Amino acid sequence: MLDYILIQALNGLVIGVIYAVIAAGLTVIFSILKIVNFAHGEVYMMGGYFGFFAIALLGIPPFASVIVAMLLSFALSVLFERTLLTPLYSPTTERKGDYGILVTFGISILLRNLAIILFGPFPLRPPSFFSGSFSAGPILMSWDRIFAAGAGVVMLVGLLLFLSRSAWGQALNAVSQSRESAAIVGINDRLVYTLAFGLGGGLAGGAGALVGPIYALSPSMGLVPDTQAFAIVILGGMGSVGGSIIAGLLIGVSEGLFVALFPDPSRSLAYAQAFSLLVLMVVLLFRPTGFFGRAHAAME
Amino acid sequence: MRSGNLAGLGCILLVALVFPFLVDTYWQTVGILAIFYAIVAASWALLVGYAGQFSFGHMGFVSLGAYASALLVQWLAIPIPLGMAGAVVLSTIVGAGVGFICLRMRGPYLAIFTMAFSEVLRIVLLTENEVTGGAGGLEVAPLFHTRSNLPSYYLALGLLAASLGIMSLMVASRWGLFFRAIRENEQAAAAGGVRVVRFRVLVFAIASGFAGLAGTFYGPFIGILTPDIGSVDQMGIVVAMAMIGGAESLPAAVLGAFFVEWMYEALRAYGEWRLVIFGALLLLTMRFARNGLLALAWNQAVRVVPAWRRTQPAGGAAE
Repeated sequence: MLDYILIQALNGLVIGVIYAVIAAGLTVIFSILKIVNFAHGEVYMMGGYFGFFAIALLGIPPFASVIVAMLLSFALSVLFERTLLTPLYSPTTERKGDYGILVTFGISILLRNLAIILFGPFPLRPPSFFSGSFSAGPILMSWDRIFAAGAGVVMLVGLLLFLSRSAWGQALNAVSQSRESAAIVGINDRLVYTLAFGLGGGLAGGAGALVGPIYALSPSMGLVPDTQAFAIVILGGMGSVGGSIIAGLLIGVSEGLFVALFPDPSRSLAYAQAFSLLVLMVVLLFRPTGFFGRAHAAME
Repeated sequence: MRSGNLAGLGCILLVALVFPFLVDTYWQTVGILAIFYAIVAASWALLVGYAGQFSFGHMGFVSLGAYASALLVQWLAIPIPLGMAGAVVLSTIVGAGVGFICLRMRGPYLAIFTMAFSEVLRIVLLTENEVTGGAGGLEVAPLFHTRSNLPSYYLALGLLAASLGIMSLMVASRWGLFFRAIRENEQAAAAGGVRVVRFRVLVFAIASGFAGLAGTFYGPFIGILTPDIGSVDQMGIVVAMAMIGGAESLPAAVLGAFFVEWMYEALRAYGEWRLVIFGALLLLTMRFARNGLLALAWNQAVRVVPAWRRTQPAGGAAE
């Protein structure tokens, strides 16, 4: 029993890294564009399929398919941002928050149902990154999970370095603090919006490609991570990338333990999804600013 | 109300009354479903379009009403109308509760919370299959023991007329003004003397009650309930209906529901593509005609026939 709990906790840690990548993307979008992206889970789903078809059609090796998936998801996000989100930057648009919610919700419906047509409703499983599993004593874990966690950590570290060290990252940070002031010092804010939305989508897509060999791909796979990412982003504080990484790990591990400890095993998997939703609702009720929120990133 | 408007209303009512005699059984069923969606879309428009309380959990209340009414009838062996009434009361109370605990949230927070609420409800309905039948569905006894669609049609029409009448009276009164004041700016509304807390809870309760009402009708008419009725995709259809018609006007949302449901049937040959088409249509409407296609069409019509400017469109779609 103790071994089972340990394995579930480790599995939770792996999936927590993936959640953190998804949530970090959502946070980047939120802190720059000031909208909550309801289509984020669907970009994650598309990323998984981009990876799958990069391997199946182009014959790219599995670990390189993650990069292809990130690039294509970046491009897809930029396309949506350029065509549909430009009214967010116009001073004549009323109630921009509502517009953002409805448009991204519409994108999510469109993408999910488009995926059913293009890829079929049945689950697809891309080939493994590395076959076999790692075992040490009671612990047994597939190399896919270890690779996914490692690649996820690389993405997160890369994101943090990009945000803190590069000029573009500092431009993103500046726009997230004040659009006007950033514009005064010569930052092209339109380009920063595009970059932020694309970057967030790229992270989600990369996470989708990493998850592919672990769980199978299906058009509705984005629904749960989407709400989980909301839970993580709110728990970690809207707009705080570091906070969402910590919260992602926290939620992943507690979800793994929930599955291990739930008294009725036949229902534990079904209620694991409800668990993160309940966490989300409780956080929204009692601590809507999260634990690491930055004051200027408060949602209007 | 002007005599012109009254005549228009009479015409619409007449068409609605003779509609089932002009079409076959299949289109009668489509008409009944369209009326069901119209009640849901109109109450969503009241909540979102008028009061600005973003909810993606509206279909959750529909499924709450539907399941509650079916289970009440099953457990207590009470007559169906009594079960329906009980379920409507329950949806209203739960709606008031959700409205109350969400008082601190607005905008996207509220949207996320209500979406999570309806997903939790869907997962519970799916998992507790000993009670709800799970994905296999819950059989519901029919309200009318006849092969004909007519009783269901006229009941649906009556429910729609009653809900629309009550909601229209409400938005035309001071309450409607309060709702819109809350939508535009809560602090300013409170400063202007609007009891924000009371009216936010109230609009949530009322809209959820009407959603529950639509659900209680849906169950006995379809005969089987599955948790899918509360899914995000169903919510997407309702959002598309209300936004394509125009969520800032109740009649426009109703017409949007009729239009989308008609399209849903007319495009039957395209199968899976239909939700993609609705999604694209929703996005185009949001991008280029935020008040809905109906308001856009009306503004174009007024440009062609300036004499129409004095009359209001079907209930003030263009503000």
